[in-house]
Amino acid sequence: MKIAALALLMALTVRPALAHHAFAAEFDAKKPIKLRGTVTKMEWINPHAWIHIDVKKPDGTVEEWMIEAGTPNTLLRRGFTKDSLKAGTEVVVDGYQSKDGSLRANGRDITLPNGQTLFLGSSAPDAPDKDKK
Amino acid sequence: MMGGFMRSLSKTLLPIAIAALSFVSVEGQAPKKATAPVKKSTVPKTPWGDPDLQGVWNDATSTPLQRPGGVGSKDTLNDEEAAEFQQQLANDLSRDRRDGGPEVDVNRAYNEHWMDSRRLKITADRRTSLIVDPPDGRIPPLVPLTPEREKARAARAAANTRFNAGLPEKIEDFSLPVRCIIRTDSPPYLPTIYNNDFQIFQSPGYVVIGPEMIHSARVIPLDGRPHINKNLRQWLGDSRGHWEGNTLVVETTNFRTDDGVVFQNANPATFKITERFSRVDSDTINYEFTVEDPTTWTKPWTAVIPWTKIDPAEQMYEYACHEDNYDVVHFLAGARSREKRGETK
Repeated sequence: MKIAALALLMALTVRPALAHHAFAAEFDAKKPIKLRGTVTKMEWINPHAWIHIDVKKPDGTVEEWMIEAGTPNTLLRRGFTKDSLKAGTEVVVDGYQSKDGSLRANGRDITLPNGQTLFLGSSAPDAPDKDKK
Repeated sequence: MMGGFMRSLSKTLLPIAIAALSFVSVEGQAPKKATAPVKKSTVPKTPWGDPDLQGVWNDATSTPLQRPGGVGSKDTLNDEEAAEFQQQLANDLSRDRRDGGPEVDVNRAYNEHWMDSRRLKITADRRTSLIVDPPDGRIPPLVPLTPEREKARAARAAANTRFNAGLPEKIEDFSLPVRCIIRTDSPPYLPTIYNNDFQIFQSPGYVVIGPEMIHSARVIPLDGRPHINKNLRQWLGDSRGHWEGNTLVVETTNFRTDDGVVFQNANPATFKITERFSRVDSDTINYEFTVEDPTTWTKPWTAVIPWTKIDPAEQMYEYACHEDNYDVVHFLAGARSREKRGETK
């Protein structure tokens, strides 16, 4: 059954243009990262929103990370506003670091420390800003 | 669990005859005419008497441009098959999946919350491809290309390879969407992952289409004036429109010759696209396009995409792509940084 399903996926995965850019070009699949930090600001800009977080390292120093996200237009339609992710909010980011090793990552998933997903998919019934459409 | 139809679909790598035998017989297997009939009585008119297409419309769908191999020759599905087709496509497109390992996962950013959820549904008419002609739902074969065009395509492929490796040499290695020059605003309009909205404005003698991404204004004169001189080339081409009954017909030529401007890298000198906008009811426009280029495809081909009127409360937003495109700097600076460290892939 699994082989058959894979064959189907291969048949179906012929799609027109996807994201603004192929993330694998900028972010390294060999550098998965998990960051726990505090939001300093969120840039509501296109083509990609950016979330800035301070990450405290074990030695007490702080790293400033930029987390790339999607288009803010969709968030607005889902009822997400500038007040939805305030400075000072603690978040956990699962993503991939930039290929050049700088302190940038794509935010594959962003969760609150209690495990609640911040930007939940529409398939999740308990999403805080669940799409009403 | 996969239903009977999906099991049939999954046999794509088996002989076609087996897959064909396993399909449940359904109605409507013959190719359908592209354009749905327009009921004149349901088409509102502007104060000056033109069919009224104004509003904000969304073209998101999961129905693929080309018919997937697994559905054989079916152009439409019955209810049960359509439900399974839609479920399988939604699973395929979902950004919330975690399978496939990091090489796949890195490109699944970001999860579904950032996406247009309407892109997970197939068209209401349960077609298996957006392409309606040729009847096989596939883009026709290419004609042999000239050595010059083969060379240009090879150069583009090399640039793509550099870009995808995270080692672009120059800004021209980026595709036009990554550079925020044109994106889903260049005809034909195809659905993508988000911001699939189009606002149509009309005034006597003109129709203007404003795609959300990137927020250009495509001004279409309706007064019968000729196209601009063929030596004047534009990013979105040069459009001329006219009414055929209640259908707005728009012909566009004069695209720029830069690599990647013309749809599917057809030949700007011979490429032509004809779009037909037909309002079929208060909430739906049938968007049909035909592309032809005898120096690229063996024959013209046509696709139909339904546009659905969106809730007036769901407004269009500016998509200021270029001014905040940090990625240009990130890509180029990152590439130079990696080169200094001797990284080559």
